[in-house]
Amino acid sequence: MSPGQPIILGEMPSLSKLYVNAAAGAARRRLLGSHPAAALPATGHEVRGVRADVGQLTAYQHLVGETASDVLPAGFLHAMAFPVAMSIMNRDDFPLPLLGMIHLRNAVEQFRPVRFTEALDVSARAEALRAHRAGTQLDIVAEIRTSGDDSIRWRGVSTYLAKGAYLPGIDKASGGTPTQQFTAPDPTAIWQLGVDAGRAYAAVSGDFNPIHLSVLSARALGLRRSIAHGMYLASRALADVGAAKGDSFRWDVAFEAPVFLPARVALDISTVQAEGAGWVRSDYVAWNARSGRKHFSGSVASL
Amino acid sequence: MSIDGQPVNGHEEPAETRPVSSARSLPASALHRAVVVGGNRIPFARTGGAYTKSSNQDMLTAALDGLIARFGLQDERIGEVAAGAVLKHSRDFNLTREAVLGSALSAETPAYDLQQACATGLETVLGLANKIRLGQIESAIAGGVDSASDAPIAVSEGLREVLLDLSRAKTLPQRLQILARLRPKDLAPDAPNTGEPRTGLSMGEHQAVTTAQWKITREAQDELAYNSHRNLAAAYDAGFFDDLLTPYRGLSRDSNLRPDTTLEKLASLKPVFGRSLGAEATMTAGNSTPLTDGASTVLLASEEWADQHDLPKLATVLDGEAAAVDFVHGKDGLLMAPAFAVPRLLARNGLTLDDIDYFEIHEAFAGTVLSTLAAWEDEEFGRTRLGLDGAFGKVDRSRLNVHGSSLAAGHPFAATGGRIVASLAKLLHGKGTVNGRPALGLISVCAAGGQGVVALLEAQ
Repeated sequence: MSPGQPIILGEMPSLSKLYVNAAAGAARRRLLGSHPAAALPATGHEVRGVRADVGQLTAYQHLVGETASDVLPAGFLHAMAFPVAMSIMNRDDFPLPLLGMIHLRNAVEQFRPVRFTEALDVSARAEALRAHRAGTQLDIVAEIRTSGDDSIRWRGVSTYLAKGAYLPGIDKASGGTPTQQFTAPDPTAIWQLGVDAGRAYAAVSGDFNPIHLSVLSARALGLRRSIAHGMYLASRALADVGAAKGDSFRWDVAFEAPVFLPARVALDISTVQAEGAGWVRSDYVAWNARSGRKHFSGSVASL
Repeated sequence: MSIDGQPVNGHEEPAETRPVSSARSLPASALHRAVVVGGNRIPFARTGGAYTKSSNQDMLTAALDGLIARFGLQDERIGEVAAGAVLKHSRDFNLTREAVLGSALSAETPAYDLQQACATGLETVLGLANKIRLGQIESAIAGGVDSASDAPIAVSEGLREVLLDLSRAKTLPQRLQILARLRPKDLAPDAPNTGEPRTGLSMGEHQAVTTAQWKITREAQDELAYNSHRNLAAAYDAGFFDDLLTPYRGLSRDSNLRPDTTLEKLASLKPVFGRSLGAEATMTAGNSTPLTDGASTVLLASEEWADQHDLPKLATVLDGEAAAVDFVHGKDGLLMAPAFAVPRLLARNGLTLDDIDYFEIHEAFAGTVLSTLAAWEDEEFGRTRLGLDGAFGKVDRSRLNVHGSSLAAGHPFAATGGRIVASLAKLLHGKGTVNGRPALGLISVCAAGGQGVVALLEAQ
């Protein structure tokens, strides 16, 4: 699909309004029947001249374990682009229900560092609507440039699953990938996540999705307890990899079992060094310290 | 003349006699030269300003990362890193090592924390330079950081005791009994202050006594403050700090700097210290350093290491000396220890004040600098306190703090030493030689607890 010219939004969309709108949309769908469209919106959205709030940046850096430097962490850029991404999924012609969407994977390419003083153009579009064994998946591609410069500084591809949603014209994926048996290695770190971990990340990222905020709000959406934000967990892993990753890197994460709060998450980060050269890649995997169930895995690699 | 140690006086210990030649137990030929390669700091910010939410670790890492970028030290295993903070939270016990781990240096770089109040930064330079001189390490990073904005706040003693007892209690009645001891006043937090533990006087009040003793006028203090701002602003305008500083959190200059301040403006400020003394109160917010946040780092190396890495050699760290005074009952002023350390340091190196091309006397207060200069010019002080034949000497004021100092830049306690060492090393390197010999610079830093650390640098 060709993205075409994006629609320029006058300001950063408000995530809280988007969530309210998503809830209203969900109710509407329930009353009026399901949405007939089977294609993603052809246009993307863009917001220009966005600047990071330095107070929010510092709070974010401290929460995920980054040093408060002037460079925006790759996960912070994801959070900055998230309202634009959400606004795509909130469009009337978006074919899948936004609420209850599951974040399956996230792939970020950080081409050059972005400093908090820079004005940024943030765009997002939806791509690659396709079948998943449990429903329908798609990618939201977000890109960040410095204003007045065409080269992309940061690109994030977030893959979401609308569980149980099947669209006409998209065949159900057969079989699906066999789940690999996971044997937990010795951990290199243990994270103690309090029951408020979701609220804390919501405060620094702006993502107030009710499934992360409290037991009650999570239950209203069908979860037994609140869960940690996937990008919070991945951002902590990225911070743990540290300065070795350099200025340009690729950062991948695949989410498996959600982290119900409070939690003890065990983590293993292993570094791949080239013969005689420096750091090449850090692989990470995290699991439930008690049950051994895998939560997420991924890697940070030099670009 | 006996200049080693402080003079015999009443019941004191006899002066330590330390012949010049035996000060070094190793033959001079076995020692390496420790050179200053360069430095990097973040601009200093007035408390409650741009760095309010930045922790000591954040700022130290920011200064370190700038140094690493400037000298290409990514993945380099440095011999040792030493830094410290004066206002330090107990969770930051390994502050410097944590900053190293968060930086692009090799994770195999060892680090330690050091604390000697405002002399912290200079002492890290001297300690590491000595390790280089002994051949124990080839490279080192010295530094310091302080945040008055993000200062640790402790719980009151009452609450602390209750909390500790609670953690040891086993039964509910025991816990309730312990909790019942809590009084409303126990809930008030205990914030750090600049008061001396033994006298209860703030540093400013202590200096006000010394300033009055040495009859330092308000005009002289304001003039020193004015020169500090003017010199620092001129140095910024000339680009002197371009390779000594990396911007942080939107600041590219010290936020305390007032390039357009005037003597009239300084004269209009109300005194803040010494108002209950008999003498006229002369110390204002303008001629005292403000509380400041910031961090600084200095890269030190052996000459061989610097050459191998194709890095500059700005100055040699020649020697250093620490001193302390008995300030508790007013024998000497709290911040007067450098007045004793400098004469000892220069005598050991066969030098006088006239041999020094640049003086960097830390401006804790304008009164501190001026009291120190007055003491050195005083015949009686020279005779009775320094054990000299007369006055120690006169500092040529045109060589003093030529690119400004703490009154203009601000003074994040432990970061001041690194700021001065890097600036002086660059200044000396630029000067090169004077009358056929390498230019010499003297650093003097006073510190809480009646201490002082001074150092001698020589142009490379």
